[in-house]
Amino acid sequence: MARVFLRRLLLSIPTLFGVLVVVFLLLYVAPGDPVMAMVGERADPQTIARLRAELRLDDPLPAQFAHYAGGVLRGDLGRSYITGRPILSDLLERFPKTLQLAGAAMLLAAICGMTLGVLAARRPGGWVDRLSLGVAYLGISFPVYWIGLILILVFAMKLRWLPPSGFGGIRYLVLPALALGMRSIAFLARMTRSAMLEALGADFTRTAKAKGVPERVVVVRHALRNALIPVITVLGLDFGAYLTGSILTETIFSWPGLGRYVVNAIARRDLPGVQGAVLFMSVVFVLVNLLTDLAYAKTDPRVRLG
Amino acid sequence: MPDLTIASHPRFTRRCRGSAVVSSLVAVLTLALAGGSLGCRGGDASPARRTIIDSRDNYDPRSLDPAKSTDVPTGRDVGYLFDGLTRFTPDARLVPALATRWEISADGRTYTFHLRKGVTFHDGTPFVARQVVHSFQRALDPKERGGRGWPLYPISGAQAYAAGRSETIGGLSVRDDSTIVMVLDQPFPIFPKLLAMPVASIVPDSTPPDFGEHPVGTGPWRFVEWKHDDYVKFARNEKYWGGKAASDSLMARVIAEPSTAVAEFESGNVDILYIPESDTRRWENTDERSATLASAPGLRLWYMAINTTRGPLKDVRVRQAINYAVDTKTILDQLIGGRGNVAGGVIPPALDGGDSTRHYAYDTTKAKQLLADAGLPNGIDVELWTGQTPPFPRLAEAIQSYLAKVGIRAKIVQRESAAMREAARKGDTDLALKDWFADYPDAENFLYPLLHSANRGVGGNVSFYSSAAFDKLVDAARKEPDDAKRITLYKQADALAFNDAPMLYLFFYKDLDAVQPWIRGFQLPSILNGQDMRGVSIEHAGPGR
Repeated sequence: MARVFLRRLLLSIPTLFGVLVVVFLLLYVAPGDPVMAMVGERADPQTIARLRAELRLDDPLPAQFAHYAGGVLRGDLGRSYITGRPILSDLLERFPKTLQLAGAAMLLAAICGMTLGVLAARRPGGWVDRLSLGVAYLGISFPVYWIGLILILVFAMKLRWLPPSGFGGIRYLVLPALALGMRSIAFLARMTRSAMLEALGADFTRTAKAKGVPERVVVVRHALRNALIPVITVLGLDFGAYLTGSILTETIFSWPGLGRYVVNAIARRDLPGVQGAVLFMSVVFVLVNLLTDLAYAKTDPRVRLG
Repeated sequence: MPDLTIASHPRFTRRCRGSAVVSSLVAVLTLALAGGSLGCRGGDASPARRTIIDSRDNYDPRSLDPAKSTDVPTGRDVGYLFDGLTRFTPDARLVPALATRWEISADGRTYTFHLRKGVTFHDGTPFVARQVVHSFQRALDPKERGGRGWPLYPISGAQAYAAGRSETIGGLSVRDDSTIVMVLDQPFPIFPKLLAMPVASIVPDSTPPDFGEHPVGTGPWRFVEWKHDDYVKFARNEKYWGGKAASDSLMARVIAEPSTAVAEFESGNVDILYIPESDTRRWENTDERSATLASAPGLRLWYMAINTTRGPLKDVRVRQAINYAVDTKTILDQLIGGRGNVAGGVIPPALDGGDSTRHYAYDTTKAKQLLADAGLPNGIDVELWTGQTPPFPRLAEAIQSYLAKVGIRAKIVQRESAAMREAARKGDTDLALKDWFADYPDAENFLYPLLHSANRGVGGNVSFYSSAAFDKLVDAARKEPDDAKRITLYKQADALAFNDAPMLYLFFYKDLDAVQPWIRGFQLPSILNGQDMRGVSIEHAGPGR
């Protein structure tokens, strides 16, 4: 397993290099000059020229790229044009907060989504099934910012159970995690339901039932385990997406994570900030995908990684 | 962002307090969809906390280093932590700060500042004159990557220092620990106002590379903690030379989404809230809410720069036609919630020299006639550039439809603000919809950057307006030591440019904040660093709270 992991890790290096090149080029093609964003409304040509030189913006593009890529190889993502702070430490400051939010959202999604799905599949057409269908419809149809605002309205302003926004203990985590995880809950509930129905109708479950295995055991050990494969895929992909920062949720709940950092960096034309953040997110995404693949192998003996 | 905002309808606000009835989710959704609000202010009971919490920043400050103070959150925070030689009051008057008084030589070029004695920085080091030199050098030094050296450029040798041509700032000399002399290139009687800008704040001798993260100043508040994208926290400076602050501590929260800031305000978690234009009427028309409002004439002009060097816009008649074609009063009332005054010049009425009587009256016949006189009876095609921050795009659409009525076909080009500003500075825009905040309260801060030919392009004059007569008036005003005469020159220059119509004059903005009923002593400042929060306190219901 360790060798497989290592091999896959090495294979992701070209992917990440590709990301590096694309991000670098995209930002230089995109309109907007970082120095102009830096100096504000009033400036003078002399200051602008000095700043351009100071930031090496006048070097030829390949030289700039070589300088940047060289830094990245040494583990240095550079300093922000705007704040002057090292990018990596800024990202590392925000990542645990994004991780916390993403983790909570996924946990909620896994527990609520899978439970709803399993219960729904046991009695198709029953009231649990219809409830789970309703939840799924709502969760998928409503955009996250709308759900976020409604959650604030109900639980923070009306009921006063939870704070409207900010970062702190678990009280601050509940609403954003719910808003963020809602789509996954909905998706997982449907996914689990259909995978479960398929597994429950399969030959091996019928055999199991026929040889007198109690229903509970059939559902959990025989059906659920087989139904987990697509569920893990969804969990993995969503987790990867959440870990790279959930801009809308973080914005609405004033959650100081990666998403907000990227938005700020883009708005201020902070090229090293955007590049560093995208690269960082790509690494995270690749790692999560890798872990998802490993989880397949663990769940399904037919999957051989190599 | 969504149109759904939490602040809302008067009908529902009375229901909030004490209502323990748990509404069903369906009812809640219905009310929310109907535009109703279930929120309320935190009641009249003051909170137990002793920290004043401000929610007006919607993005993280760039830094807490004065040398990097190029944005609003940074400027405001620097104003809490540091002092300049001078400072502004909330109503934008200039008063002494670290300098107690100053003398000006007969030729108007030499300023001798007498510094306050016995002042110490938050770390205990005493404040002395050499730190002024150090502070100004940092602000100008390109290695600091500040980008805002221009307020210090009037000092002789400052530009040479900023360009790396000189090791020292020639015009800056320390006479003794409590006296510093500044020699200017030419007389500039409003210079002390520029020294109250955040960038001219005084820092201690030692400024390590992470100074922007751990600032040390002489200001009324000392730095406690900065959680990025979350908040900056300050504690009062017990030894402040001007008397310590009324509250223990102060927190500037960063809340990106306006609806969230409203929710925090209505939950009583924050004390000061910025009211977005689109919400103005809702707040003003609800008794309970309107009682919390504080306003100030913002030193801010909204305008649409007309590039006077492009195609048919070179013709003054076409530019005047644009001004006659647009009903700015209606736009102000409908889109900006009536927050401001129609502009007929660039000098805000709150400043000396402002004229609130003159403006282009809405007159489509006249506009069409002017176009016909200019030989363009079939109208013109232009590009109207705007940023993406609300309410600019809607403003652009309104202007577009007015212009269409007189045959000016404007195509809207919407770009992210930095990109749009860059295009305007390069002269690539026909029309550019913008606003302009004062850095210091003086008419010069509008006339000179926006319309003087020396500032065409990056300097701020994106109309590329160039008038020898106007330049002459402004140049004379900048040197004129007599206040009355200077103001007369300002007025003449403003009137002259008005006739040349280098912009569509829109309006002067009125700032509007909501302040919790338990807050005492908060006056909304006209200029961003005009309120140091020293006199602001939370009135607690009783002892022990």
